[in-house]
Amino acid sequence: MNSLKRIFIYTFLSVAAIVSIFPFLWMLTSITNKSVDVTQGRLLPGTHLIENLKTLFATVDIVPALINSSIIAVITTFLTLLLASLAGYGFEIHRSKGKDIVFTILLLSMMIPFAAIMIPLYRMFGSISETAPLIGIDSLGAVILPTATTAFFIFFFRQNTKMFPKDLVEAGRIDGLSEIGVFFRIYMPTMKTTYAAAAIIAFMNSWNNYLWPLVILQSPEKRTIPLLISNLGSSYSPDYGVIMSAIVIATLPTALVFFLMQKHFVAGMMGSVKG
Amino acid sequence: MKKFNLMFVAAASMAALAACSSGDEEASGGSGAEGSADVDEITAWAWDPAFNIAALENAKEAYNGDGDYEVNVIENAQDDIIQKLNTGLSSGTTNGMPNIVLIEDYRAQSFLQAYPDAFHPLTDVINAEDFADYKIATTSFDGEQYGLPFDSGVAALYVRTDYLEEAGYSVEDVTDITWQEYIEIGKDVKEATGKNMLTLDPNDLAQVRMMIQTNGSWYVEEDGSTPNIAGNETLEAGFETYKEMMEADIAKIVSDWSQFVGAFNSGDVASVPTGNWITPSVKQAADQSGNWAVVPMPRLDMEGAVNASNLGGSSWYVLNVDGKEQAADFLLNTFGSNPDLYQTLVEDIGALGTYSPAAEGDAYAVEDEFFGGQQLITDLSTWTDEIPAVNYGLHTYAIEDILVTGMQDYLNGAELDTVLENVQGQAEAQLK
Amino acid sequence: MSQLGTKKAEVDLPVRTKYEESRRQKTGVFFKKKVGWLFIIVSVIAITIFNFYPMVQAFLLSFQSGMGANLEYVGLDNWRRLFGDPTFIAALTNTTIYLLIQVPLMIVLALFFSVLLNDPKLKFKSFFRIAIFLPCVTSLVAYSVVFKYLFGIDGIVNQFLLNFGLIPQTINFLADPFWAKVVIILAITWRWTGYNMIFYLAALQNVDKSIYEAARIDGASSFQQFFQITVPMLKPIILFTSITSTIGTLQIFDEIVNITNGGPGNATISISQYIYNLSFEYTPDFGYASTVSYVIVILVVILSIIQFRVAGEKK
Repeated sequence: MNSLKRIFIYTFLSVAAIVSIFPFLWMLTSITNKSVDVTQGRLLPGTHLIENLKTLFATVDIVPALINSSIIAVITTFLTLLLASLAGYGFEIHRSKGKDIVFTILLLSMMIPFAAIMIPLYRMFGSISETAPLIGIDSLGAVILPTATTAFFIFFFRQNTKMFPKDLVEAGRIDGLSEIGVFFRIYMPTMKTTYAAAAIIAFMNSWNNYLWPLVILQSPEKRTIPLLISNLGSSYSPDYGVIMSAIVIATLPTALVFFLMQKHFVAGMMGSVKG
Repeated sequence: MKKFNLMFVAAASMAALAACSSGDEEASGGSGAEGSADVDEITAWAWDPAFNIAALENAKEAYNGDGDYEVNVIENAQDDIIQKLNTGLSSGTTNGMPNIVLIEDYRAQSFLQAYPDAFHPLTDVINAEDFADYKIATTSFDGEQYGLPFDSGVAALYVRTDYLEEAGYSVEDVTDITWQEYIEIGKDVKEATGKNMLTLDPNDLAQVRMMIQTNGSWYVEEDGSTPNIAGNETLEAGFETYKEMMEADIAKIVSDWSQFVGAFNSGDVASVPTGNWITPSVKQAADQSGNWAVVPMPRLDMEGAVNASNLGGSSWYVLNVDGKEQAADFLLNTFGSNPDLYQTLVEDIGALGTYSPAAEGDAYAVEDEFFGGQQLITDLSTWTDEIPAVNYGLHTYAIEDILVTGMQDYLNGAELDTVLENVQGQAEAQLK
Repeated sequence: MSQLGTKKAEVDLPVRTKYEESRRQKTGVFFKKKVGWLFIIVSVIAITIFNFYPMVQAFLLSFQSGMGANLEYVGLDNWRRLFGDPTFIAALTNTTIYLLIQVPLMIVLALFFSVLLNDPKLKFKSFFRIAIFLPCVTSLVAYSVVFKYLFGIDGIVNQFLLNFGLIPQTINFLADPFWAKVVIILAITWRWTGYNMIFYLAALQNVDKSIYEAARIDGASSFQQFFQITVPMLKPIILFTSITSTIGTLQIFDEIVNITNGGPGNATISISQYIYNLSFEYTPDFGYASTVSYVIVILVVILSIIQFRVAGEKK
């Protein structure tokens, strides 16, 4: 019975893994093929890898775009984690009627499609461009600011805080820690996996963000990776081998972040939380 | 613990900074819209590095005016340009807008009318007579010429001569034919070679668009906004022809651009009826050199229809921001009056403009080995002059999205009249 | 101000006499309230500036109409127009279908994966975790191309079904209004299940393992453990993922544009795609586009209230 269950579980997971990996593998093999082969859906590896990479590095400035995307993603992730966890913690641990109302209102901000608020937002950044060029149109700051604080992550941290043992907070207070101290000394280390999950998602969102960076950034040297890839595909005669190479390179950082962070998801590591 | 407090304060003051800076938002803004100050750098946006961007670079080289400024060429995907322009222009912030921008002809009227003061008229700058009629119709509005016509977009039928031969046809047999004749040939080709005659994408009615323009008709009336669907005989003929092609089983169904290109690159289809900008993609399959020829677009079997049409194509526009004089000067002394530039455009990138004085140049007469020694550019240029002028108006893509649904119904057996009346009704409801 | 408050707390906390205790609680409550606001203030300000201010602007826009910059107030005209607009109704219907089928399917799958992958005895855990998360990082372009080929007329799926005699003839999945929707639902599920799994995996680390130990001793089956321990323990996160997935699916855009572009006809068009078309693809009418956006807001608000109620978090 038990071994039968095992077999079922492994089969199920293996099928799921194969289905999940397949398009990724196709993406990897496509960078070794010529454009013509890619458009014909060739699944086997080819011999065109070096040529594709050469053309890629010769035609577009992928390195500056990687740097821009990295700067934006790292700062955004850091700010998101810090601000959202502070707020999520504040809403749950220092719960009050007033804050519950504020929280409900904050949730509303997730509900509108970004395309609908983009134009007013653009106008806002446009009007401060002269006085504060660091966060005006065509600045990395303007890309980061609206994306660094989102109700999504506040909501996420608050829901996780619901599962956080509240007596740890009381214990911290008794030990003489300030309210902020409790947060940084007790909450943060205890919630490591929550932070890891949030980091993965925040990094990924920021890395793949397209519409906002597209409208707010103007100079080519400030372009992020998704904007660069969008350009590659815009030609009347696109080279799909080269596009796929750029896509694979663009995918690696997110995959790497996931790989590093997922180590925190180890069953039993936390056990019953003692702080 | 001090450290943590510091971080907290830092974070708080950052937010305060952001709050302050957004406070004075009404102060500036909309700067430069009226200005006419000299600038020493102008910016141009376009898409496709191998085509439009290369054309701009060539234009920089060929500039023969006496202005003293830099031209900064920036590549953006077409969809990206549309989003950036719309966002910028509608927010009233000219900050970050380019001086010169390339806009597809189908969208031109919509930009010109949606943002009336955003574009700088070129009426006194260029000589409209020098350009093909159908281009002038789409790039002007309210008596003013706004666009400088560029990429022709002349439609043509690219054919595989080897497949035709196998089925017993010559290039002459597919020259100046009707769509009905084309379908018959297609059936024979399929029988002889097993290859489909063309690709069709049921979500893209480009074929229908090209068909109806051969008879000078469009989705909208002359006024550019009233839907012209129900009772539009040309459109009816286009729909019928499209259905015949589907039912004759001579079309390979594709669902996106890469499959479309893949189909002719891999030799799966015997012909490609499309815009002339496809030439580089066709040539991509070098092993097929010598097996291709280009003939005029088939026409609808109607009184007055001609063997010339258009697909896509785009033109240059100058935005009404600081540097507009320089931008106009740049365009005039390049695409506006410089026949030599057009020779290089043809030689270097295969880009065909619609500037008539350029057609006499040597580069236009070059024989193309890939197309069996055909004087491709001369031919395309001749057909360009015959394209019927239509007003694409404001709603090409909006109506087409409704038409696509109608086409589905029609292919599934609905009455054509009912389908088109439905589309007409829906279009009128949606385009208030 | 924060510094002052902090010092005060430090002085207060160790004092344990009964009198002092009650005094502490009084000032403590007052103080705790204030410091509580400090935790959230930055986020509240930022979200107000970057979300609510533009949202109010968008709301005002929803009562205007016109081409591009030529907007004028039309009162409730846009709202009336919604009901006579067949494209909007198609988009709303499609989006609702996606939502009703896809969100529950994905949540259950993600929960299931995370519980399996949380088993300490499972081998190759890292591999499975990475594999199931990979669709999230795979680029849309790659994945939409692959889906188109998989479900093409001579695609692998058709060949597979034909060979096993499950269908009499090939199905043109992407050209059929019903099957195109199925493909979209599969695609969204494929892409976002791993994403939701992350949230569950993280939350499961915070669940006290000794509860499972006790349940096992009491003879509870894995099935019972799942429904009687895991699901109730994870309730806050399940609520979180179902609300965010609802929002995500109601705003679904990329998958549809890349895989079917709304077709055949408008059999797969979503509300967000329609908003995009109204703003950028057609002659722009940002007023009407805002109205359609607010339909999404209204739907999400209603569904979130229902979800909160079901989860029993708020009265």
